[in-house]
Amino acid sequence: MSHIAKIELEIKDLQSLKEACKRLGFEFVSEQKTYKWYGTWVGDSPMPEGISKEQLGQCDHAIRVPGAEYEIGLVKRNAKYLLLWDSWQNGGLEAKIGKDGGLLKQAYAVASIQHMARLKNYRLREIKTDQGIRLTLSV
Amino acid sequence: MKEIVVDVLDSGEVKVETRGFSGKACVQESQFLKDLLGKEISQQLTPAYYREGKQEVKKHIPLCG
Repeated sequence: MSHIAKIELEIKDLQSLKEACKRLGFEFVSEQKTYKWYGTWVGDSPMPEGISKEQLGQCDHAIRVPGAEYEIGLVKRNAKYLLLWDSWQNGGLEAKIGKDGGLLKQAYAVASIQHMARLKNYRLREIKTDQGIRLTLSV
Repeated sequence: MKEIVVDVLDSGEVKVETRGFSGKACVQESQFLKDLLGKEISQQLTPAYYREGKQEVKKHIPLCG
């Protein structure tokens, strides 16, 4: 063992996000400019960084989640994408993508690493653990 | 064997652990993953980090004796 690092995930690659959606059974809708949500900001959670109330509901692309009434919006900010979504229970998203969208972020990270492992010709093993997914790259 | 182990938790949190590397190579070899996934928010170096090959790098040089 040499070092351990924690990483705050940022979504930078749309292709990996599309693969993540496929893995989870979601539909990535390119160029959809609005996403479904409650429709009115009620102030029950922090505003996403760099987003104003007026910008809620608008996006560059969207994700449709089967079984959920609401949708996820993707907004491009510099070189990364923000996930905008309404976590109200009746919208049905949190049950599908996890608290703070963790399951979608997880699927994105896995897709990104798989893609990079192929490019670098690394051997990759994937196993399910109690807390998530472990990927082992043999260098 | 040199390995990079990535734990992607259900919460979306990502932990990267290098195994079998000596010295600073571990940081260099795993940098591409950090660049790929986001930004590093913490790092913990393990004893192997301070080894170059099989020789341990002395961090404290005795001044006397």
